[in-house]
Amino acid sequence: MSAAAALNWRLRLVQRLLYGQNVDRSVKSRARVGLAILVFSIGYAVIAGRLIQLAAAPDSQTVRRTADAVSTSRPDILDRNGEILATDIKAASLFGEPRKIIDVDEAVELLTAVLPDLDATELRERLSSRKGFVWLKREITKKQQQEIHGLGIPGIGFLTENKRVYPNGAEVSHLIGHVNIDNQGIAGIEKWLDGRGLADLHMAGLAVDRMDKPVELAVDLRVQHAMRDELMAAREKFKAVAAAGLITDVRTGEIISMVSVPDYDPNNPKEANDPTRINRLTTGVYEMGSTFKALTIAMALDSGKVSLSSSFDARMPLRYGKFSIHDYHAQNRTLTVPEIFTYSSNIGTARSALAMGVEHHKWFLKKMGQLDRLRTELPESAEPLVPKRWGELNTVTIAFGHGLSVAPLQAVMGIGALMNGGMLIPPTFMKRSQAEAAKLATRVVKPETSEKMRYLMRLNTEKGTAGKADVKGYYVGGKTGTSEKVVGGRYSKSKLLNSFTAVLPADNPRYLLLIMLDEPKATPETHGYATSGWNTVPVGGAVISRIAPLLRIEPRFDLPPSQQLILAKGR
Amino acid sequence: MFVRLLNICVIAALVLAAAYVYDIKYQSTLRAERVAKLRHDIRRERDGIASLRAEWARLGNPSRIQTLAQRHLPLKPFQTNQIDTFDSLPMRPPQIVPLGTEDPIAAILENINEDLTASTGGLGSLRGGGKGDRQQ
Repeated sequence: MSAAAALNWRLRLVQRLLYGQNVDRSVKSRARVGLAILVFSIGYAVIAGRLIQLAAAPDSQTVRRTADAVSTSRPDILDRNGEILATDIKAASLFGEPRKIIDVDEAVELLTAVLPDLDATELRERLSSRKGFVWLKREITKKQQQEIHGLGIPGIGFLTENKRVYPNGAEVSHLIGHVNIDNQGIAGIEKWLDGRGLADLHMAGLAVDRMDKPVELAVDLRVQHAMRDELMAAREKFKAVAAAGLITDVRTGEIISMVSVPDYDPNNPKEANDPTRINRLTTGVYEMGSTFKALTIAMALDSGKVSLSSSFDARMPLRYGKFSIHDYHAQNRTLTVPEIFTYSSNIGTARSALAMGVEHHKWFLKKMGQLDRLRTELPESAEPLVPKRWGELNTVTIAFGHGLSVAPLQAVMGIGALMNGGMLIPPTFMKRSQAEAAKLATRVVKPETSEKMRYLMRLNTEKGTAGKADVKGYYVGGKTGTSEKVVGGRYSKSKLLNSFTAVLPADNPRYLLLIMLDEPKATPETHGYATSGWNTVPVGGAVISRIAPLLRIEPRFDLPPSQQLILAKGR
Repeated sequence: MFVRLLNICVIAALVLAAAYVYDIKYQSTLRAERVAKLRHDIRRERDGIASLRAEWARLGNPSRIQTLAQRHLPLKPFQTNQIDTFDSLPMRPPQIVPLGTEDPIAAILENINEDLTASTGGLGSLRGGGKGDRQQ
């Protein structure tokens, strides 16, 4: 009894301490049960929510892969025969997480032992910083990666990145351009690719894996090499400042080869910043000299007012105000149109342009695309330098290629239109079929005019200044151009810009070739001459004999002279 | 009694279903792992192919080939007169003995005899035949 009384007493004491004297315990307990139900249901709700989240969330692996590839992937670039010009390979990059590094000095010592080109003080500085992540070295080799992995330094890791490589080095440098360390295109076709939506894909983090569809260019690597090899030799031989060469398909506007030396190695893009290494064919503008006479003569012939048998007075220099226009190969007699072309007569061309009138001349050159900036896939382009006030004197000089500076690629486009039957086709670096080209083409001169121009070009290799490029079997037609460079506001007699434009074969043209030499010097072999016929023409001949077999042009022998083969066909 | 039997059946079905679901889940996990592994392998192979192709392109670079050829081969760039067309090939000389004859000389002798008996034109065909033999 006393035990029960003690228990009772203790209970009462606890109850009084906890709840006070007048509390109904049954109400309390119901409230407690309610609370417990609430807590448990919240708990289950959280579990259910998490389950839904896990079920709905995508594969967590892909998220990690995105983080893996830091510099993003780019499509391969191939030449017209499928040779690789640019491709991606995987390379490991070394990074550090300074917060996780225990002994900085030890880490620096071990890393510099494996990577001797790493600067020790800079490395120590980076690893001692309080950052979460620092790059230590981008693009290390497989062997180095294994060695560093073997060292087992805490807080040092690798990320696999795409590295852009150009297996052909400098051969196609100006054409394809190059990328920066993050694989973004900063010049040439590479930049163009980024502009076509690749950059957006990179932003969205989508273009991390290998791209399936390669980009096929119109360029032919073997032709490009042959051209570059000959140009390098020519530049050395004639001690020229620069040399450039271009081959286009006149029927499609495709650029088969484009070389401008000095060039650079896209694997080492620092060289590209050197201003002497610019691409002279698209980013430079030049007075094309006598090459422009082809356009002037074509204009005269196309107007119908002048025929091949018309003649112009070239007996004495053409006086215009205080200027007088001389001929380099002066004949001092009346010249017919073919003679004007083959003797490259400044007076004759100027007179034929004057006969057409200033407005007509301007209109024609505009139609031929010589007065507006030519845009291709390459982001680099230059605006032609057109005189602000175009008077008769301008027409006189522009007729023989002085006073109007155009990008050489532009001039080639114009002359291509004179050769292919009169269709102006914008040039392209991409592969293009004849049907596609036909859609883009605009008629600029009559087919008969084109035929006459081809006759004149061929005649010029048979009898005129381009004789040294008459490679037997290919029926080459060509026009030389020697222009004096402007030095200090005056035309210099010694600093020349020489060019040679050739079409092959002249009776059924397929390819147009342009060779340019910037300030070639006379050599004993050229008998002291530095004009185009002595340097660019032989170079052009050498290039043609090397590339024609590559371009599958079948040599034909014992062909009749142009008088019969080209002109007679038209009648 | 009936309710009890039903209960047992339901429990048995439940156990079976649970076992089946577990099996499916296990299989799918295995397959997912295999897919991931194959993807990884494919990626590695493609990276390998890409670097080999890059290496191949570097080795096949025309200027490298040219340097090697100039150093090690006596070859020269060919001239246009070294190319000829099929049209300018001479016609094949007439065959005097059919191909696959067991004893060609005996056959020729037989032919001569025939030709001599037939006409004097046999001499011409003999001369042509001799030339043809030498070429072969």
